[in-house]
Amino acid sequence: MYFLLAVICAGIALLATTNRFAESKYGFVIGTPEIKSISALTFGPEGILFIGDSKSGVVFAMDTKDAAATQATAIEIKNIDQKMAALLGTTPENITIQDVAVNPVSKTVYCAVQSSDGTPVLFKIAGEKIEAVNTKNVPFSSLTLNNVPAEDAKDRRGTSVRVSAISDIGFADGKVLVSGLSGQEFNSTFRSIPFPFSDKQDQATLEIYHAAHGKYETLAPIKTFTTAEIGGKKYLVASYTCTPLVLFPMDELKPGKHVKGRTVAEMGSGNQPIDIVTVKKGNDSFLMMANSARPVFKVKYKSIEAYQGSLTTPVEESFATAGVDFVSLPVTNVIQMDKLDDSRMILLQRRSNGNLDLWTSSERYL
Amino acid sequence: MAILIFGLPVNAICNKLNMRRVRLYITCSLTFFVLIQLFSCEETRKKGTASVIWKDKNAVAISFPEWWLTDKKGAVSVRVRAGYDNEVMMFGDLEKRADSITFTPLIPFTRGLSYEVFEGEKLLTSFSIPKTESKDAPRLLAVHPANDTVPENLLKIYLQFSQPMQEGKSAYLVTLIRNDGDTIKGAFLDLQPELWNENRTQLTLWLDPGRIKRDLQPNKKLGAPLQKNQGYKIVVSDKWKDTQGSLLARSYSKSFVTTSRDSLSPVPGNWKMNVPNANSVSHLQVYFSEPLDHGLLDEAFTIVNENGDLIDGRWQFNSEATAAAFIPNKTWKSGTYQLEVDTRLEDLASNNVNRPFDRDITKNSDVKLKQNFVKLAFQVH
Repeated sequence: MYFLLAVICAGIALLATTNRFAESKYGFVIGTPEIKSISALTFGPEGILFIGDSKSGVVFAMDTKDAAATQATAIEIKNIDQKMAALLGTTPENITIQDVAVNPVSKTVYCAVQSSDGTPVLFKIAGEKIEAVNTKNVPFSSLTLNNVPAEDAKDRRGTSVRVSAISDIGFADGKVLVSGLSGQEFNSTFRSIPFPFSDKQDQATLEIYHAAHGKYETLAPIKTFTTAEIGGKKYLVASYTCTPLVLFPMDELKPGKHVKGRTVAEMGSGNQPIDIVTVKKGNDSFLMMANSARPVFKVKYKSIEAYQGSLTTPVEESFATAGVDFVSLPVTNVIQMDKLDDSRMILLQRRSNGNLDLWTSSERYL
Repeated sequence: MAILIFGLPVNAICNKLNMRRVRLYITCSLTFFVLIQLFSCEETRKKGTASVIWKDKNAVAISFPEWWLTDKKGAVSVRVRAGYDNEVMMFGDLEKRADSITFTPLIPFTRGLSYEVFEGEKLLTSFSIPKTESKDAPRLLAVHPANDTVPENLLKIYLQFSQPMQEGKSAYLVTLIRNDGDTIKGAFLDLQPELWNENRTQLTLWLDPGRIKRDLQPNKKLGAPLQKNQGYKIVVSDKWKDTQGSLLARSYSKSFVTTSRDSLSPVPGNWKMNVPNANSVSHLQVYFSEPLDHGLLDEAFTIVNENGDLIDGRWQFNSEATAAAFIPNKTWKSGTYQLEVDTRLEDLASNNVNRPFDRDITKNSDVKLKQNFVKLAFQVH
């Protein structure tokens, strides 16, 4: 009996220590993060969710405690905007789905929603059930992005001058990667922030150039990005507001350094990249890119790798686009996309009948 | 006229029975009326609506007396009465405070919608959130650039509203129209998230940079959104709602004409300055050689003295953004000052002080030394 009690006590003590260890491991404190907006979501290790808050110019790291490894199951929710609106007590035109991210461990889909009054809400989708994610009294840490105007900075009419947006957020090799847009200057900022966040703000702020056609060199903001291994080397694969697909070697992205990226493809006109993910089928890996005015594009990483030799010369033009070949999938109006597992994606798609559905792609798209 | 209690005239009762029995009758009747009254009061209160709690013109919660709950077993839920699916319970916090129940939804209740409060499946009450009043309608205060003439490669347009607006709507509600009446499709970049300031009163719109940048596919296929020597109009629709759901007071438009492409960086060294006299609080006036972009003007300038101390004061700009005036807080002392210009400052075509918007590397291989500030010295006598 005493032995059993001792074992229980030891177990509880061990559990408590483990929790404290996990929290201290990432420098988390228990509290309520002051999230003013959710522009972008991504997952780090052990169910840690990174939230890009454009309105505050802050990245939050939050422990979702959702770290039990689970086999991914296909999700399909029709009219998801109506369902979410009903749960929030409003109508679909009063909500916007800002981003979706799949927890790579639990395979749960997380979804950032903003109501028309600006209130951000975080949902998670387990099977067919939509739940609100608690953001009160949770373990979290935060980091204010550098070069963001102070919150009290006002223009001569007393209007807050900060106009910036976090266009995408990612996690690779222990670093949180953040691409930003500024409403005040036409520029590209890309930050690589070590995690756990440190007081030193040891982060790289990079200005990125891309050479289109080898003739004009311009600056432009990154809209969305991913990281990938091409020919044994790690690259940042970024898509710009003017739709070229550009590669940057990860090892060159160092604090204060100007890196010239290489345009490998142009994806056509009047279009905005929305999300990029990397998926695999057998020995082939593919870059999948959702677009505002085009179908989902599929690019073989092997084509990008083969193209690398000619990157220094101007891009040969074809009728529709330039650069590496890509395939258009018969999937249009995809508003958000993320990777569910190695070979499947979840897509938030506006169907031709106007419905907004969340569904899972099968391997046949690869 | 005879007064009847339970159908008997009072006079007759008094005459026929002793006073004690009369008192008994009256007491009974009064008790009956009071009970009826109480019962009907309870019915009236049950049919009443919950109190809506307001904060900054938002309906943030409702509360109702706890005694409305009858069996206290069924879960209390609030549901929106909408056209599609009103079987769903809203997310929110239910709290018992003193003798009342408060429900705080995850997002404020929506103006113009109706809601129902249930205990289990029993309807307790319903309530509606009133629409906003027309006097609260938002207005468009300014469009930048305010200039009548802009370069054909204009990149940014700023819309300044009187109150916080709903995000994600500009693609449908802002149009660029050529003077011949044609709408320029795909003129603005459909950027999600849009570039709003923190309180959602100022939106930055970009004319599609892929169409402006020379040699990119969008530029080659569709051409630049603006052509030189043409008249255009930006129209902002009155269908735009603020965060409270109020429609813009009216539609707005701003006309301008275009001149040729501006591919050159602003050169602060070419600006003219009117320097104030010592011992005065006169303005330092700076005249730019071209209109500058609205976005960074307020942050781009600082003045320091010979010791590097910051001179306190405020900046004013004319509406065309071609001139600035610095109004010092204290009198000028004689000496040398530096006007520091942030090199991120851009002109209307997003050429900044350090580099042009796009650079032809086959023609001009000179790359200026990247610096954070350009300093312009001036003497106060």
